[in-house]
Amino acid sequence: MRRLRQPGLRVRVTAAFALGALAISATVAIASFEITRQTLLAGRERSALRAAYFDANVVNAGLGDDDPDVRELLRSLDTGSTRHAIIYRDGDFYARTADAGYTKAVSPDLQTLVGSGQAAVQRVRTDSGAALAIGIPLPDGTRFYIIDSMSELDQTLRVMSLVLALVAAATTAAGAALGAYASRRVLRPMRVVADAARDIAGGDLTARLDPATEPDLERLTTSFNRMVDQLAARLERDRRFAADVSHELRSPLQTLAAAASVLSRRRDQLDTRSAQAASLVADEVDRFQTLVTDLLELARADQPADRRPTEVAELARQVVSRKGFNQALVTAEPGELVWPVDPRRFEQIIANLIDNAVRHGGGPVAVRLGHDDGIGWLEVDDEGPGVPPADRETIFDRFVRGRAANARADTDGTGLGLALVMQHAVAHGGHAYAGDRPGGGARFRVEFSLATDGESA
Amino acid sequence: MMADMASVLVIEDDDRIRLSLVLALEDEGYVAEGAATAEEGLARQRKSPADTVLVDLMLPGLDGFDTIRELRRADDVPIVVVSARSDTHDIVAALEAGADDYLVKPVAIKELTARLRALRRRARAAATAMPTLTFGELTILPLAGEVTLNGEPVALTRTEFRLLCELAEHPGMVLSRQQLLERVWEYDFGDERLVDVHVGRLRQKIEVEPSAPRHLVTVRGLGYKLQR
Repeated sequence: MRRLRQPGLRVRVTAAFALGALAISATVAIASFEITRQTLLAGRERSALRAAYFDANVVNAGLGDDDPDVRELLRSLDTGSTRHAIIYRDGDFYARTADAGYTKAVSPDLQTLVGSGQAAVQRVRTDSGAALAIGIPLPDGTRFYIIDSMSELDQTLRVMSLVLALVAAATTAAGAALGAYASRRVLRPMRVVADAARDIAGGDLTARLDPATEPDLERLTTSFNRMVDQLAARLERDRRFAADVSHELRSPLQTLAAAASVLSRRRDQLDTRSAQAASLVADEVDRFQTLVTDLLELARADQPADRRPTEVAELARQVVSRKGFNQALVTAEPGELVWPVDPRRFEQIIANLIDNAVRHGGGPVAVRLGHDDGIGWLEVDDEGPGVPPADRETIFDRFVRGRAANARADTDGTGLGLALVMQHAVAHGGHAYAGDRPGGGARFRVEFSLATDGESA
Repeated sequence: MMADMASVLVIEDDDRIRLSLVLALEDEGYVAEGAATAEEGLARQRKSPADTVLVDLMLPGLDGFDTIRELRRADDVPIVVVSARSDTHDIVAALEAGADDYLVKPVAIKELTARLRALRRRARAAATAMPTLTFGELTILPLAGEVTLNGEPVALTRTEFRLLCELAEHPGMVLSRQQLLERVWEYDFGDERLVDVHVGRLRQKIEVEPSAPRHLVTVRGLGYKLQR
């Protein structure tokens, strides 16, 4: 039954928008970065090559002298700090500074290529970052190399990639925000529907949706309103029916009760057979009266408990003594037990449990009250045959009578007493249980939630 | 003997219920008379007042609530509602209109006569030996059965008067609703709404500002007390 909780619609829409924005912005960013990088690199290579040829010409002219000073020649080149010129001549490398790092940047491949008389450009990595290694062959096997540092370009590209990444992140966030907004906007009518449904469940049958506010959802609002109309009509019909039934049953019963009372009072004046019949009528009217009262009480199942501070131990003692038992049967935790319960229903619970104990358990032997952790409990023990485990749930159903009752042909009970106990317990956010009493007999336990807020049963 | 027999007027439109109630009450020693409509009942009560009136709520013509108000306008005759309606708002409305007690049909004759006896005792118990009591601008003369507010006499029903005396006997002491039900209505367990509505009615009469009572105060979760 229980499924893994799926992320909500709003979360999913927001995530989809964010992912879409991320995909688009990342693609655009990567593409524009690549294009820019290629363009910049190509331009950089061209200008580096041009400068290298210019320097190569200078060097070539200088080498034309007799016994040229190669180092002096190199120094005369205007290379700035980013370009490093190297001359390979007669098997030796000459550089302006003693820095061998740049010499290493001239790869064997490049040397071979230049050695074969071709000018070549290679992208290399030096200790100080990316660079272009340009080789130009000069006459007499002399080779001129320029290691042109591209750290400036590198820096530019780094800044650019950072900017693009930031833009992509911002776009993703904007996408997520748009998704959140759009889903909220789309779900807003749903929230109105949910609010209306909650109001209706809470008993406000006047709640309706306004079809004018969301033209797109007209069908939903129309059918929702029609549903509520029908529900309200049905509830009203049920309520009126229950009221009618109540009235139509109570009225003739009142006549019967009064007439039976007249018959009972005059029993002595009747002959034996009439007196027997009169007593049967009186007893059955009594039982019928209880049955109707219980049935009508059960029919009002949806009524919330009318909770008010109640001295439950005192109430229990009153009921016990009214039923003809010793008040000492009631044991309660010391101190005043004042619970927020519906006193009428609480009284009925105790009375019905005692009646049940009398009918099926040889009378109550203990009535206990206590509470822990916001749960109040009431236990009624008897010394009867107990309740078989198989019957412990169904015993609280309507019109279920104890097996012992059938055996004894005892027809006093209405079969509704325990159903009412359960209903009253549930109305208090609690439950009723049938169990064993240690040492034999049954133990009925009723629990009540004493937390009154946040409950609308 | 005859003089001591209490009389009851049964205002009930259902012929069978009316007849059976009259028969049963007569068997219990009451002088009972029936009226099928509120108008008939009111006329009868004006001509020869009964000690107690039983009223059904659903009546043709003038309904039960108006009947109670009409009866109350005349005097403080004890009124018991006997109705098939058991909704809270019906019960409260009937009590607010001025009824002393409320019973839901079907009511056993034993229960009904117990209520009537309690009402009779309440009517007599007004004459308990208690000195004059003053609660600020409120004065209670238990022997005379009178109450004055700022020297002006206040008209209380017997139930209201009993309720006030019960609270006045224990000035400053909290009495729970169940205690008041036991002492005033003689219920061993009863509907606490009886107490609440009667306290409300009493406040309307004895408090200068009923919405902010100074003497008859509610002690949340416990009950009511009368203080000076």
